[in-house]
Amino acid sequence: MKMIRAILRPETAEGVAEALADAGFVSMTQAHVFGRGKQKGITVGTIRYEELPKTLILMVVEDKSVDDVIDIIKDRAYTGNFGDGKVFVSPVDAAYTVRTGAKGL
Amino acid sequence: MKEIIAIIRPKKVGPTRNALEQLGFPSMTATAVTGRGLQRGIAGEVNMDCPPELLAANKPGGMKYIPKRLLSIVVQNSDVDAVVKTIIEVNQTAQIGDGKIFICPLEIAVRVRTDERGDDAVL
Repeated sequence: MKMIRAILRPETAEGVAEALADAGFVSMTQAHVFGRGKQKGITVGTIRYEELPKTLILMVVEDKSVDDVIDIIKDRAYTGNFGDGKVFVSPVDAAYTVRTGAKGL
Repeated sequence: MKEIIAIIRPKKVGPTRNALEQLGFPSMTATAVTGRGLQRGIAGEVNMDCPPELLAANKPGGMKYIPKRLLSIVVQNSDVDAVVKTIIEVNQTAQIGDGKIFICPLEIAVRVRTDERGDDAVL
């Protein structure tokens, strides 16, 4: 299993979530976060914003689904401008469902 | 070291914290998140008991995203099973939406105050 953490523009996150659900990846967790990338925030006029609001989408999927999920995120979150976001994939050793206590997704 | 990421009901955070404290794991990080599972959202997550007829009436639609707490607990490899067992025991209800637990490997931990590394930095 792999954990996919995608940090996206808040306005594109909803579309990504819908596209993922349509493709069968319904389970996900969202959080509102703040951060910056290589461009160190953004300058609008004379005002510098050091941290920008983003939406973090966290989901755990089987190894074979990772590429599909990344493709969907890339497709729906793309605007071509700085700040479209990043996707991180990390290993997960085990998963449990609390209600049943069963192992696995 | 392993990081245990548990996504549970907000109203179960208190009992979970107490149970883990009794077990000897008082440290954790909690984040307010929203999310959905395989059932695409249900009601009954708020910090009060919903009447059963209200829940039944809400079944088909429900909420799009359900408020949850994400707990992040870092423990030694040997303690993972005990912590997972406790979280599952405390958080089990009859309803769907009890949450998920993920076990992730962790490479380095640093205690900022003393600059301890690795296993020493974890309780």
